[in-house]
Amino acid sequence: MTNVNCDQLIDYLNGTLNEEEQKQFEAHLAECPECRDIVDATGELPYLADPVVPNAGMKARILDAVFDEEAQQTPLAEEPKKRDRPAPPAPMAKRGFRTSKWTPLVAAALLVSLLGNAYAFYELSDQPDAPAAPEVAFETVDLQASEAFEGTGTAALVHEEGALNLLVQANQLEPTSGDQVYQVWLLKDGQPIPTGAFTPSQENEGAVFFSLDENTEGWDTIAVTLEPNRGNETPQGEVVLSAAIDPEA
Amino acid sequence: MEKISDALLYERVRGKDKDALEELYDRYEKMLFSYLCKMTGDRDLAEEALQEVFVKVWRGVGSYDESKGKFVAWLVTMSRNAAVDLIRKQKKPSVPLDEIAEVESTDSSVEETAEWQEKSEQIHQAVRHLSEEQQKMVHLFYFKGYTHETIAEKCGIPLGTVKSRIRLALKKLKTSLQMVQEGGVLDDKREL
Ligand SMILES: [Zn+2]
Repeated sequence: MTNVNCDQLIDYLNGTLNEEEQKQFEAHLAECPECRDIVDATGELPYLADPVVPNAGMKARILDAVFDEEAQQTPLAEEPKKRDRPAPPAPMAKRGFRTSKWTPLVAAALLVSLLGNAYAFYELSDQPDAPAAPEVAFETVDLQASEAFEGTGTAALVHEEGALNLLVQANQLEPTSGDQVYQVWLLKDGQPIPTGAFTPSQENEGAVFFSLDENTEGWDTIAVTLEPNRGNETPQGEVVLSAAIDPEA
Repeated sequence: MEKISDALLYERVRGKDKDALEELYDRYEKMLFSYLCKMTGDRDLAEEALQEVFVKVWRGVGSYDESKGKFVAWLVTMSRNAAVDLIRKQKKPSVPLDEIAEVESTDSSVEETAEWQEKSEQIHQAVRHLSEEQQKMVHLFYFKGYTHETIAEKCGIPLGTVKSRIRLALKKLKTSLQMVQEGGVLDDKREL
C-alpha cells in the first residue's frame, strides 16, 4: 500500500531526509512490512560485486581509527585521513582492484608482457595521460616448490611511483577443497604479511595481483602457502612455493 | 556454540564492547569492501568509506534496531552513502551514461568462497528478472554512486518518476530474490 510515507523510502535510502523526516520514516518502517522488505533486499546487493581481497593491514587500520578515543572528539568530517593518497592516483592503484577479476590466463599474459616491457602496464591502464617515462623497477623470480609439491610458479615485483605491485602466477597446482586457498605472503625478517589469495582454475592454474602503497621496501622472501581458509593474518598451512627476493630491488 | 545475531552484537557495541564491533567487522568486511571497491573503483577510497561506516557504528551515529529491517541492509545503506559522499568530495568524474554496463558481470573471480558464490548466484538470478530499465536504476543508484537527483538529471526523467522507478525495481528485486531463495530451482533455462 503506497501512502505518503512509503514515498520517502528512496530518500531514506539516499540519506537525504532531515532529522525529523528520518524519525518519522523510521517509525513508518517499523509498521510497514513492504518498505522493510525492500530495505532488506538491498542488503543482498553487494553480492553483485566481484569479491575483492581486503587491502593489506586494512582491518588493523580501521579498528585503530574506530577505537581511537582522541579522534572521537573531532567531528567526522575533519578526521585526518589514515593515508595520503597520491594525486592524481597512480594507475597501479586502480589495477589492484581490477585484478580480482583476472583469470589466470589474463594474468599470465600480463606477466609475459611485464617481462618484456614494464611500460605495458600503462598500455593496459585506462589513463591515457600517464607519464611517458615512469620510474619502474622490477624483479622476477621463479618460485621453488616445497618437497612433495608438484606446482611451479613465478613472481614479478614491480616498484612504481612509491607502490609495490606483486604478481604471482602458478601452474600445475593441486586442486583445493572446501575453504582452502593458496595464500601469497611477503616476508621481512621472518615476519609475513598476506598479499592476496587464489584458488586454482580447472586447468590447475592460479594467479593473483597485489598492490602495496606503504611499507614497500625491504621484503626478503615471497611464499605461497595452502591455507585451510581465507583471511588468515599469519600462515597456518604448509608452504608450497617460495623464493628469496632482493630487498634492495 | 550458536552464532550471535547481528542485532545482539550491535547492542553490545552500543555498550562499547570492542570485541563485538570486531566480530561485526569480520562478518561484513569482505562483502562491504568488495561492494565499495566496485562503487568507487578505488581501493583506498573504499577503505576510507568502510572506515567511516564502522566509526559511525562505534559512535552510535544513526542507531540501529530491528524495526529498521536487517542489520546488514542498514550497513549497506550507510556504506553506499559514505561512498557517495566521498566520491562527491573527490569530484571524481562520473562515467558517462553510455558506458554503463549491465549490473551483471560475467567475469569469474579467482577468490570466491562457497558462501559468496551462493549469495552471488541468488542475487544475480534475481536481477535477471528485472527489466533492463529497472536493472539500470539499481545499477546507477547502488553501484555508480548516483543520487536520485543525479539520475533524474542525467536521464532527463522527473525526480518523482526516478524515485518510483527505483522503488519498483527494488520491490521486484525483493520478490524475485524471495522466489529464488525459496524455490531454489528457478531455472533460467526454463524462462528462455
Ligand atoms: Zn511503506
